[in-house]
Amino acid sequence: MDSPVIAHLKEHKDKIVELWMKKMDEAAAEAPQSNINYKALITTNETFAEVIYNYILNDGSSRNLNEFIGRILQFGWPLSYLTHGIQVFRRVVIEVIGGKAENTKELLQLYQQTDAIIDPISNKLIHDAAEQWENTVYLQKNALMELSAPLIPVMEKISVMPLIGTIDTERAKLIMENLLEGVIEHRSEVVLIDITGVPIVDTMVAHHIIQAAEAVRLVGAKCILVGIRPEIAQTIVNLGITLSDFPTRSTLKEGIETALKMTKREIVFIDQEGSD
Amino acid sequence: MRIPILKLHDYLLISIQVELDDQTAIQFQQDLLEKIHETGVKGVVIDLTSVDMIDSYIAKILSDVVRMSSLLGAKVVLTGIRPAVAITLIDLGITLKDVPTALDLEKGLEKLQQELEG
Repeated sequence: MDSPVIAHLKEHKDKIVELWMKKMDEAAAEAPQSNINYKALITTNETFAEVIYNYILNDGSSRNLNEFIGRILQFGWPLSYLTHGIQVFRRVVIEVIGGKAENTKELLQLYQQTDAIIDPISNKLIHDAAEQWENTVYLQKNALMELSAPLIPVMEKISVMPLIGTIDTERAKLIMENLLEGVIEHRSEVVLIDITGVPIVDTMVAHHIIQAAEAVRLVGAKCILVGIRPEIAQTIVNLGITLSDFPTRSTLKEGIETALKMTKREIVFIDQEGSD
Repeated sequence: MRIPILKLHDYLLISIQVELDDQTAIQFQQDLLEKIHETGVKGVVIDLTSVDMIDSYIAKILSDVVRMSSLLGAKVVLTGIRPAVAITLIDLGITLKDVPTALDLEKGLEKLQQELEG
């Protein structure tokens, strides 16, 4: 059995939709969205009204609504468009069917029933939107993680891991894993960890780097810490951190030279006259 | 359960392919030291490629074995420690500081050769 509100909604569908469209148009005219063209807005409004009606009358079958919300959010339309649409819908419904009430008590009842019907829609909308954002953030975080600690094999037996940005515990763990897996994969003998892009080296960061270097030694390679800027050197010493267990160099260039020495190789200039 | 110890020229090769329990590890320690004494080899490679897990006790035994062997005049290299194992060891605070390591058996033998010649 339908509640009176549903009955009213069915009965006055045309009127409600018409009024709703008008109000949505007004709102759009007052605060035009630069990235939404007017024609698309009208079509979307029509679909929107249809979707809301379907949802209410089908008593919770939400597939259409889901699709619609998903599409709107994918197009990058503001969430406020959707929430506003639902608020306007509520107001229009009250306006249209409120007049049918004979006394205050009945009016209040109608109002509550309307709320009970429309609230789930807006809840669902917010839930969906939040979920989509969470999903986006999750994907971006993953992408960032993938980019955050690459191990680059620069030549045989030598790899470089450039670190950029602050290092927290989670990232340090990832760095260590990538470092070790990479050493095995590329069969590196020397790994240069370049901290040129690390803005702050505190005890925690230093601790992580030392741990990584020790782990690298366990799997059978050696670490060189490069890219130590003067101010970083000062902080390290002032904090009383000792990095004496593995070689350190100020630039990647010097680090590579050291690495070549450690793997018993050197760069020689080719005699140009001899090459003829 | 005993871990096989193979002799190759001047070296002993050990590939540990079972999960080391305490008993096996102690047995291995004895066997290896006796074998070094018996054969008089100068170098030992212990390959851990197939070992998924090393606890603090096993780590202690391994580093003991290295020191004991050097008392007998044999250099030991640990090879093939897996990333996961390395991370566990570091997390446990075990750095095996005095133990030489190498990427795999081949590199381990190279390293031994270099150290024994040099």
